[in-house]
Amino acid sequence: MLSQTQQVIASDNGPEAWVDLHGDALFRYALLRLRDRSAAEEVVQETFLAALNSYEKFSGHSSESTWLIGILKHKITDHFRRTSRFMPLVQDERDEISSANDRVFFTTGEWVDHWHNETGPCDWNATPETALVQTEFRQRLRSCLSALPERLAAAFALREIEGLSSEEVCKVLEITSTNLWVMLHRARAQLRLCIEMHWFRQAENMTKGASGKA
Amino acid sequence: MSLFHKLKMEIIFWIARRQPTCRELAPWMSESLDRKLPLRKRLTLRIHFWICVWCHRYQQQLQFLQQAYRQEASLCLEETPASTATDESMRLSSEARQRIKRALSRKS
Repeated sequence: MLSQTQQVIASDNGPEAWVDLHGDALFRYALLRLRDRSAAEEVVQETFLAALNSYEKFSGHSSESTWLIGILKHKITDHFRRTSRFMPLVQDERDEISSANDRVFFTTGEWVDHWHNETGPCDWNATPETALVQTEFRQRLRSCLSALPERLAAAFALREIEGLSSEEVCKVLEITSTNLWVMLHRARAQLRLCIEMHWFRQAENMTKGASGKA
Repeated sequence: MSLFHKLKMEIIFWIARRQPTCRELAPWMSESLDRKLPLRKRLTLRIHFWICVWCHRYQQQLQFLQQAYRQEASLCLEETPASTATDESMRLSSEARQRIKRALSRKS
């Protein structure tokens, strides 16, 4: 959060100073949602341009960064709204889970489609707070998010990161709520598997409570 | 294996055979994060968690991830320039910075 003085300086020095003061924070915000550097740079630029146009309307009730983030959120949902029609349909949309997830269940025998005891979820033995203390874990969260197919990532980002309601996400992506729940299920299943395989099942990250096999 | 243990396993298998499979139940667990499930589905899940430790973990892990991503989102808002100073991947490149400034000065 900037001090009052810094904000006054920003306004006096013109919009270029905004870029120095707020650019990185806005970029980080956009990058987490959009996962792609050039898309993030674009929405940040659009945000600053929109802010310039409506600066007279900025009443000063909130801080400048809050106001800019508000504009950025709109630009991000606009981005998803525009690009969702061009995202490739995930191929096996009829199937519930992608092939990587298939291998974690029994594929034959009496217990087909039940968790295989060797590949089923292991005990993570952690809370989000303890895990997020580690920078490498946070990087892992981001890299697993980047590995999601575009459509699934859009649904997940709007719902879980932007925090839009299910109805709002459906409106932005122009999908039904059934579509959305299938997409969120697949996104969450894939993220869970990615993070378990690449973090919790790595020997150096397992704490003494974990019972999964590496 | 004691008789008691064998009996307990039989009951568990009896229940498991009459329930949806773990794979069919995974979407229900995901959906429960977005809305309240009807009573029947909630009960099915509760019974299933009693007999299936993996699905119980799966549900908890989905909640873990929901919290983790939300906190990551607010963490990256709070970061000061100092803490991310060495991480170039989290900052605007200098070309992008110049490009944006030029676009702004054309407009103002």
